[in-house]
Amino acid sequence: MNTRKTMTLNLTEAEMQVLGSLSEKKDLSKTALLRQALRMYQLIEARLENGEKLFFEDEKTKEKAEVMML
Amino acid sequence: MTVRVRQVHLLNVERCQPEPAELWDAVTEQQLTDWENEWVPELLKAIERLEREGIESRHWPQSSHWNWRKKVEALRGMLASPGFSIVCDGLTQGMMIVDTVKKRCRIDNQKGKPLVYVEFVENAPWNRRELCDSPRYRGVGSILMRAAIELSVESEFGGRIGLHSLSQAHDFYAYLWHDGPWRRF
Repeated sequence: MNTRKTMTLNLTEAEMQVLGSLSEKKDLSKTALLRQALRMYQLIEARLENGEKLFFEDEKTKEKAEVMML
Repeated sequence: MTVRVRQVHLLNVERCQPEPAELWDAVTEQQLTDWENEWVPELLKAIERLEREGIESRHWPQSSHWNWRKKVEALRGMLASPGFSIVCDGLTQGMMIVDTVKKRCRIDNQKGKPLVYVEFVENAPWNRRELCDSPRYRGVGSILMRAAIELSVESEFGGRIGLHSLSQAHDFYAYLWHDGPWRRF
């Protein structure tokens, strides 16, 4: 892994709670969770910029809903 | 781009001895040049030989249509899709691209947890038993699988990895799972 740099993050109480709850659910540290979120954000952004759309599909009904990214 | 290089060893089949090699945490222009100048011609020669020998096309290498340059260029700079390669004797001996975002665990006791998914992994044609009578090096696939597991550990995914193998590679993964170095993780 490449050399890492440290930064301070300012989060609201609500954001901190979500970060804590997601990292517990995913069994990841807060740093690992944020790193994972950054990878995902970059991927989604690149594909949207490439002209693709982001959808959620209901597994049972197969209904699709586009996630509008503005 | 900074490439981390780690020392590993491949088994030189002819000499029956380990040979120093390098595991890179990237697929660079050097790998793509090796793929174009060395892998592709060797693969085409092997396919021509299979054709001459009357081997049905369904038994030809299933990865022969993979274009590593296109794959790498499409994923360049993407944090979610790191690549790995192994260099030995001045040549690229294997390449792999993984995904750390799009796939999750499916088995019940790990459902929804993140994993490192092996998207593409390929050995150089001269190391593949199905393509040549005497492969040059052994150990390429195992080292790349170990690299995927180590990335999973570094990413706090607990060493979990996943893949869908080409049917021609089922035996290799079965070996890793039941008898190979995989057992250590």
